[in-house]
Amino acid sequence: MMLPMASLIRREYLRWIRAPTWVISGLMSPILYLLLFGQAFNLGKLLPPGTPASALSQVLSGAPNYFSYFAVGMVAFASVTAAMFSGTGIIFDKQLGILQRILSTPISRRSVFLSSLVFRGMLTLIPAFLVVGFALLLADVPGVAGLTVSSGVTVLDSVQFLAAALVLSVAFTALFLSFGFAAQRIESYFGVVTILQLPILLTSNAMYPTSIMPTWLQYLVGFNPISLAVNIMRMSLFGTAGYPYSAGIYFAGLLAWAVLFVGLALLLASRALRTNPAASPTGSALSQAIAE
Amino acid sequence: MTVGAGNPRTSAEGGHDVVIDVDNLRMIYPAPKPGALPTVAVDGVSFQVGRGEIFGFLGPNGAGKTTTISILTTLLQPTAGHARVEGIDVGTRPNDVRRKLGLVFQRSTADEELTGRENMAIQAGLYGHSGTSVDRRVTELLVQMDLGSVGDRLVKTYSGGMRRRLELAVGMVHDPKLLFLDEPTLGLDPQGRAGFWRYIRTLRGSEGVTVFMTTHYLDEADQLCDRIAVIDRGKIVATGTPKELKDGIGGDTLEVAVAPGAADLSPLLTPMPGVKAVSRREDSYRVKCTNGEQLIPKVVLAAEQAGISVRGVTVAKPTLDEVFLELTGHAYREEGESPKEDRSGGNGGGSDQGRRP
Ligand SMILES: Nc1ncnc2c1ncn2[C@@H]1O[C@H](COP(=O)(O)OP(=O)(O)O)[C@@H](O)[C@H]1O
Ligand SMILES: [Mg+2]
Repeated sequence: MMLPMASLIRREYLRWIRAPTWVISGLMSPILYLLLFGQAFNLGKLLPPGTPASALSQVLSGAPNYFSYFAVGMVAFASVTAAMFSGTGIIFDKQLGILQRILSTPISRRSVFLSSLVFRGMLTLIPAFLVVGFALLLADVPGVAGLTVSSGVTVLDSVQFLAAALVLSVAFTALFLSFGFAAQRIESYFGVVTILQLPILLTSNAMYPTSIMPTWLQYLVGFNPISLAVNIMRMSLFGTAGYPYSAGIYFAGLLAWAVLFVGLALLLASRALRTNPAASPTGSALSQAIAE
Repeated sequence: MTVGAGNPRTSAEGGHDVVIDVDNLRMIYPAPKPGALPTVAVDGVSFQVGRGEIFGFLGPNGAGKTTTISILTTLLQPTAGHARVEGIDVGTRPNDVRRKLGLVFQRSTADEELTGRENMAIQAGLYGHSGTSVDRRVTELLVQMDLGSVGDRLVKTYSGGMRRRLELAVGMVHDPKLLFLDEPTLGLDPQGRAGFWRYIRTLRGSEGVTVFMTTHYLDEADQLCDRIAVIDRGKIVATGTPKELKDGIGGDTLEVAVAPGAADLSPLLTPMPGVKAVSRREDSYRVKCTNGEQLIPKVVLAAEQAGISVRGVTVAKPTLDEVFLELTGHAYREEGESPKEDRSGGNGGGSDQGRRP
């Protein structure tokens, strides 16, 4: 039963490739962050002159400089930000009646959701890759900070990096996709996204080290799926020194979030795809009251 | 009330071959907000459609046509009642039903950013079909629908008529033997409608496809459909062939115009053989009768003898318009006269026709 899913993925792909706005929305913000924020907000300069590089590196969990530390955070930041748009397509499909047409065919309801998850999940990885590539390039530009990784990065480390990025993408794509299935209008969707956006992004260690935060915030940040993924990614590139837990523990935590979000999304999506006013509890109670 | 034959035609083997079997279907939409009234969209509807029939569901806007078609195509669970498609219950085995049918929605559901050909190929994929056989089918349908030259253009560049035809092509791409069409000719010009009727007849003829279609065009129901169910305010008021329905309401109408100020002709008309009812509007009379043509000379003669000068007589064969008026007690409202359809559910429990006791 892969063909129906492949058809829906092809449909989303064709729509995406013909609507080039994603280039601007997907690329601009991470690049601006890297070029402006990452260059200006150089924590290393705040330390008194003469402080040994190792002291800074310790604060930055092994990263050689602040920009490198920050760039890995931006990888997660970029994919989560991109995931926030995942639910928009399904709302338009609903409003245009396209979803109704799809639902009148024998494709399973779960496949409708999963095909969106697969395609949108892949899409959110694109800005993540672009951030990595761009940050690495900056290292070769004189006078600009760039991403420098430790010399001992193995293939296995890279796989670990990719796996963390992928699971993070899938988790947040599922979450925002489920809001799209539940919402009737684009305004209410972005209402929810706006409420969640800053708390999700700011309670993470994407931009600054946990050690400079108050303890209560450190707890919050520690559980944030973005932090968990970023920990794994930084461990892959800068080494594991200074972390209280192993990458495996962080990965387990990240997977738990992903399972939770995908589960929630499956629930919300299957509820929304029933497309049946009489099936809602209030609906059937009312109909019964009328019938009597 | 049922007029005419309520059953589908019998198949060649002599037995009933029922493709759609609907039994006492009800659909009540819950009130959109507390305090508002729920909408009774379908109110105890029963009918059967036989194999190879073009069955028309005729009714004004808001009558409950789309709701019925949504239930039959598994998109909506009815509040009560049963429906079977090819013997399969739509409520309990929706996925088996979906495999059997093709559906064309009232509004355009094609993907604007894709070409016509891509839309069709993707729809075929949703049914599990792919490969060169699909390519062939797509090309064949595009040509049949007169879309051969625009198949590779994005749908957003299509005209209204092209979109309608593409909808039909998309609904047909997996070669269903049962087609549900919700107001398929809405917005088509007369030429486009004639072409569509031709195509539907061919389909039924050459491929034996059964067609269930809704329409609010009386002439379309009259000319295209083998049998019609007339639906009004959620209830079927009559089922039968167009001819049966028209005959059922008692034949012809004679319009007799007399000179202004002439004496009353009604007492002379009423006792005439075959006359069922006479109504007068100033200087003209409407005579309901079974035998319009035979009555004309008698009317003229009787009027002359009474010294009433007859200005003209016309005989009108019954139309579905009159059938509708007769059965429902209110005139049929064509598009434009009825309030705009409101799908947002914002108009409380009220239907388009104010469905209230
Ligand atoms: N989703 C819905 N929620 C509430 N009421 C609806 C909904 N869809 C249709 N209705 C109401 O049900 C009645 C029948 O609508 P519909 O089946 O669309 O009629 P038709 O297709 O004959 O124009 C109308 O009064 C309409 O306002
Ligand atoms: Mg309708």
